[in-house]
Amino acid sequence: MDFGLSEQQEMLKKTARDFCKTELPKTLIKEYAKDPRGYPPQLWQAVADLGWTGLVLPEQYGGSGASFMDLAILLEEMGRACVPGPFLSTVVLGAMTVLELGSEEQKSAILPRVARGELVLTMAVAEPHAMYRSDFFELEAKHVAHHYTLSGTKLFVTDAHVADYIIVAARTKGGVTLFLVDAKSPGVTCALLPAMAGERQCQVNFDGVRLTRSDMLGGLNHGKAYLDKVMQRAAVARCSEMLGGAEQVLEMTIQYAKDRVAFGKAIGSYQAIQHHCANMLNDLDASRCMIHRAAWLVSEGLPCALEVSQAKAWMGAASRRITSLGHEVHGAIAFQHDHDMHLYTKQAVVGEASFGSSAYHAEVVARELGL
Amino acid sequence: MDFRFTPEEEAFRREVRDFLDKELPRDWPGTDPDLYHEDAFSHIHEVSAAMQKKLAAKGWLGLTWPKKYGGHEEPLWKQIILEEELTYRGAPGLDPYQFVGGMGDLLLEFGTEEQRQKYLPMMVRGEIKGATGMSEPNAGSDLANLQLKAELQGDYWVLNGQKTWQSAAHVADLAPVYVRTDPNLAKHRGISIILVEYKKTPGITMRRLEMMSGLGAFNEVFYDNAKVPKENLLGEINGGWKIVMAALSHERSYGVMLLINIKRDIDLLIQYCKETKDADGVPLAQNRMVRNRLAEVVIQQEIARNVGYKLNYLALTGGNVVSTANCVKIMGGITTQRVAQVGMQIMGLHGQLGPVGGNWRQMDPNDKWTRLGGRMKHLYLSTVCNTIAAGTTEVARNAAAGALGLPREPKPAPKK
Repeated sequence: MDFGLSEQQEMLKKTARDFCKTELPKTLIKEYAKDPRGYPPQLWQAVADLGWTGLVLPEQYGGSGASFMDLAILLEEMGRACVPGPFLSTVVLGAMTVLELGSEEQKSAILPRVARGELVLTMAVAEPHAMYRSDFFELEAKHVAHHYTLSGTKLFVTDAHVADYIIVAARTKGGVTLFLVDAKSPGVTCALLPAMAGERQCQVNFDGVRLTRSDMLGGLNHGKAYLDKVMQRAAVARCSEMLGGAEQVLEMTIQYAKDRVAFGKAIGSYQAIQHHCANMLNDLDASRCMIHRAAWLVSEGLPCALEVSQAKAWMGAASRRITSLGHEVHGAIAFQHDHDMHLYTKQAVVGEASFGSSAYHAEVVARELGL
Repeated sequence: MDFRFTPEEEAFRREVRDFLDKELPRDWPGTDPDLYHEDAFSHIHEVSAAMQKKLAAKGWLGLTWPKKYGGHEEPLWKQIILEEELTYRGAPGLDPYQFVGGMGDLLLEFGTEEQRQKYLPMMVRGEIKGATGMSEPNAGSDLANLQLKAELQGDYWVLNGQKTWQSAAHVADLAPVYVRTDPNLAKHRGISIILVEYKKTPGITMRRLEMMSGLGAFNEVFYDNAKVPKENLLGEINGGWKIVMAALSHERSYGVMLLINIKRDIDLLIQYCKETKDADGVPLAQNRMVRNRLAEVVIQQEIARNVGYKLNYLALTGGNVVSTANCVKIMGGITTQRVAQVGMQIMGLHGQLGPVGGNWRQMDPNDKWTRLGGRMKHLYLSTVCNTIAAGTTEVARNAAAGALGLPREPKPAPKK
């Protein structure tokens, strides 16, 4: 077994860390959070210029052909810095799906533009009633004459307000089908939800949106099995962001415990504080081992349903514990908006709930155990 | 990165499994890696001694040790796989006091050539049983406060004082005993280690202590002018603290064994939930609360086991193991207790029934209501010690805080 990062992965990590440090001070991130769009276009361009939007795309589409594991390491750093913008939506939900399921025409039309930072993609899965469970989807693509009409509501769609294309998982006669929908199509309307963290989430209504067979991704009724794969990838990507965030919280907390003096001593010298920090460290170490393993399995295309759900269920609870203890050690200073802690607290809450909550993934584990 | 075992490693794993299928008694329910079962029940101790000989014949005792002491100079991952497979099956015979970061490693690191020549070959041949002599009534977490006195008189160390909570001492042949050789030096500077052959040393008496589980597996050990040859000093005189640290860091990998052992109990519990129905006739396995609780302990065990693999990886690559070792130690204790708690919640009043030791004594033929042979009751009672033995969770957290670079705790003002 080898838990180590390759030289290239270390380099990617360092580049990302340096970029975030110099270009993205937290004051700026807090400003972006108040803007309805959520991020400035020049930041998205900078991210693309670094080669990140094309990181996992093949060279023929303008990418650098890196692995999902490399992407997971990048996402850790992005999570650590709370980088705003539609990165996970565009790359993990969007581009990777187009790459795997798209026709050559779809791939050539979309992927090079993603790599250049010209397009934003996302995927609409969750519904008000069914959430992520595709068996209960209500949004339907009805086959009418030579086309399909798409009607229904998707919820918690990340970055749909800025997306150029939305991949929609729809009920079709006999299964679930993915459609690549131009976000400007007549009948598509989008409303921002008042979400807690920096990530933008939307309600997207589809009202008789007209589609053809050529808008399908992966063919008729092949969506269900593929959605499992998308969910696994998204869950690991989200875990990677949370892992990076948790790492930053621990570092901030340790620094504060060393600097802050109470009763004449640095508070980090008191066991009550030390044990909080030790508990945070343990949760972080344990999370890192499991998330790297899950990301690696996804990356290698090996069976990973059990490991991914274990990782997501664990990371959700662990990042909640880590941020809570971080607050406890910081005291009153960190529940001020000026402080950075709340960025991570919000990231943890949203992270635990998205792409399958801890309870959802625990149930996946129970099923995998044959219960 | 690669999270798989190599084909060669998998082949060795299969070899160990085949060996266990052949050599373990039929329907073996498994002993725990803390040896409390085998030290408390003579019939299990006998199976252990027989298995020890069989492991020796396979060349699996002292697997990684130098050939000149009878070892096999095999890579560490083989030892790790061996430990994993034996532990999951609850197979005895690989005495942790000798082979899993125990005396053997201490002798290799700190022993004289004569000491190694004398003791390592008999360990490799499976002839002796080990123990360790650390704790005292006033030296548990504050181990540096140990008071058992050793004075050099002619060719002998003369030992006076007391140890306590000494697992396995009543059946052991040899143990490193932590003694005070200079009462005038600072607490942790006046400590030495002496190799004591319990059965051959007059002046040693023992009293068995019964644990809350009912097992009598550990002892108070009294030293009354007990004479040990002076060449049995391990390492330097008053240089014992370094060895204490080494021994404790080895002991923390004990968390890995707890975690693998508990997998057997989790599997048992899952089986129970599939086979047992509630009042409505619905299998417990379909109950949402039960499913969630079981999934949670499975996740916790799996996460912690991964940290265990990371620890192995760090040990193999020469990385810094401190925080990872502490993490495993802490998670091992907490996870095993959590499994027992969840098991008890699921099994309700049936869970608290059972004979001493659980699974191990002949069941009372009139007892119709004990389930899983009383394993859950035993597990609940015996895992209480898992956050305490081999360094409490709190001491491990102190060490983790140290590894994070937090300042040392302020010392109390000196007494006037």
